[in-house]
Amino acid sequence: MSDQIMTIHLKIWKQNDPGSSGKLVDYTMDDVNPDMSFLEMLDWLNERLMNEGKEPIEFDHDCREGICGSCNLVLNGMAHGPEPGTAVCQLHMRKYKDGDTIVVEPWRAKAFPIIKDLVVDRYAFDRIMAAGGYVSVNTGAPADANALPVNKYDADLAFDYAACIGCGACVAACPNSSASLFTGAKVSQLAHLPQGTPERKRRVVKMVDKMAEEGFGDCSNYAECEAVCPAEISITAIAEMRREYAKALSEIV
Amino acid sequence: MSKTATFLNSQVGRKIATGVTGIGLVLFIIVHLIGNLAYFGGPEAINTYSYTLHQMGPLLWVVRLGLLAFFLYHVWLGFSIWLGRRRARPESYEVYASRGWPSRQSWSSSSMILTGVLLLLFVITHLNTFAFHDFQTAVINGVEMHDVHARLTEVFQSPLYTIYYVIIMVLLGMHLRHGVWSAFQSLGWMSRNTNPIIYSVAFVLALIIAIGFIGLPISIYFGLV
Ligand code: SF4
Ligand code: FES
Repeated sequence: MSDQIMTIHLKIWKQNDPGSSGKLVDYTMDDVNPDMSFLEMLDWLNERLMNEGKEPIEFDHDCREGICGSCNLVLNGMAHGPEPGTAVCQLHMRKYKDGDTIVVEPWRAKAFPIIKDLVVDRYAFDRIMAAGGYVSVNTGAPADANALPVNKYDADLAFDYAACIGCGACVAACPNSSASLFTGAKVSQLAHLPQGTPERKRRVVKMVDKMAEEGFGDCSNYAECEAVCPAEISITAIAEMRREYAKALSEIV
Repeated sequence: MSKTATFLNSQVGRKIATGVTGIGLVLFIIVHLIGNLAYFGGPEAINTYSYTLHQMGPLLWVVRLGLLAFFLYHVWLGFSIWLGRRRARPESYEVYASRGWPSRQSWSSSSMILTGVLLLLFVITHLNTFAFHDFQTAVINGVEMHDVHARLTEVFQSPLYTIYYVIIMVLLGMHLRHGVWSAFQSLGWMSRNTNPIIYSVAFVLALIIAIGFIGLPISIYFGLV
């Protein structure tokens, strides 16, 4: 029954600043509406903490509709929680049972340092993008859409890869903290489009090197990333990135 | 040269190298398995097979050294990737769980380092038991050669050794269950459609190899041949 109020036990990671050590703190919410999203429940908890004069729990969020990639929570050990193809902002409390205990942790990776509580610094992804995840063009009037033919197969694949919202769940869930799925999606998206072709080789080399430099781990093909990705990006993106890299030997310095 | 080094040190290069050396080792294992089957053809078959191999001279050494290089490089990459895990995530999760398929986290993929180390130790003892062994000689068609058949028959009389060997072959199967599929993914030989097919084929191949290798010691131990 969706109007049945639930009790949920939360164990939430609290950490004051990047330098200090954190710990799990217990909270019990005895008036959770099943139609709340997970983040709404945290809002509700924060509201209460503030009324009690306590510091609220810091967590990241923005669009709350699964498209911005800001929300980043690990629930009971799974990045974005238990629902496939769902960012944690789109997860609803009706997926849980009355009395459930949920452990809430931040993304954990050297390349994503914790800022406070559940908020991590994901600038490493921006730096991977800045290394080559763009197309250099002179701006001007937009070209006619049909002036640049793209076959449907490539257009569809590029579109699938473009669905990546840069959330970082792939890194968070990976036993090695590898950023291969994110980087693979970005590299492969552009590799399938005519606009991406001129800088194709330089792009893959720069982005792959950057990802190692940022401290992300090696990939062991566990494919956990694909399982947690809210955009359901396939690890084929990683296979494609490897093909691209092998073909870009001439650009390696 | 430095280009090659940069490539091999990149995260993609390391995967490709793990895959290429892995595939090389699997091909060797398949040839080895087919060779083992010669035992079922009797002393003459397996002894002549081993004798013919040894007649290859320099070529045999090229293969041996190549295998050794592949093996060592594969081991080194495996350790290095495993050691990198802690560096990339210094503080681990309080609770960690796999989301399940399409994740390939399994008893096989999660134990690669363990099965790998045990296989490494096995290979050392295995070379000592067979390759470096001082064989008796047999004379077949007037040619004097190593009596490999007698050695195999002798070794697999021991229940302990037979059990040890069978366990190791199960571990080999486990290592290959993730390894074979992983090699294809590492080399980028994968599309969305072929991916699940290769994952299944890898399972069947790992099973065939493990069962194939277990067949011989079991048959000898129970006197089936
Ligand atoms: S690949 Fe998926 S999990 Fe990784 S950053 Fe993009 S959307 Fe998030
Ligand atoms: S808040 Fe934007 S994706 Fe979750």
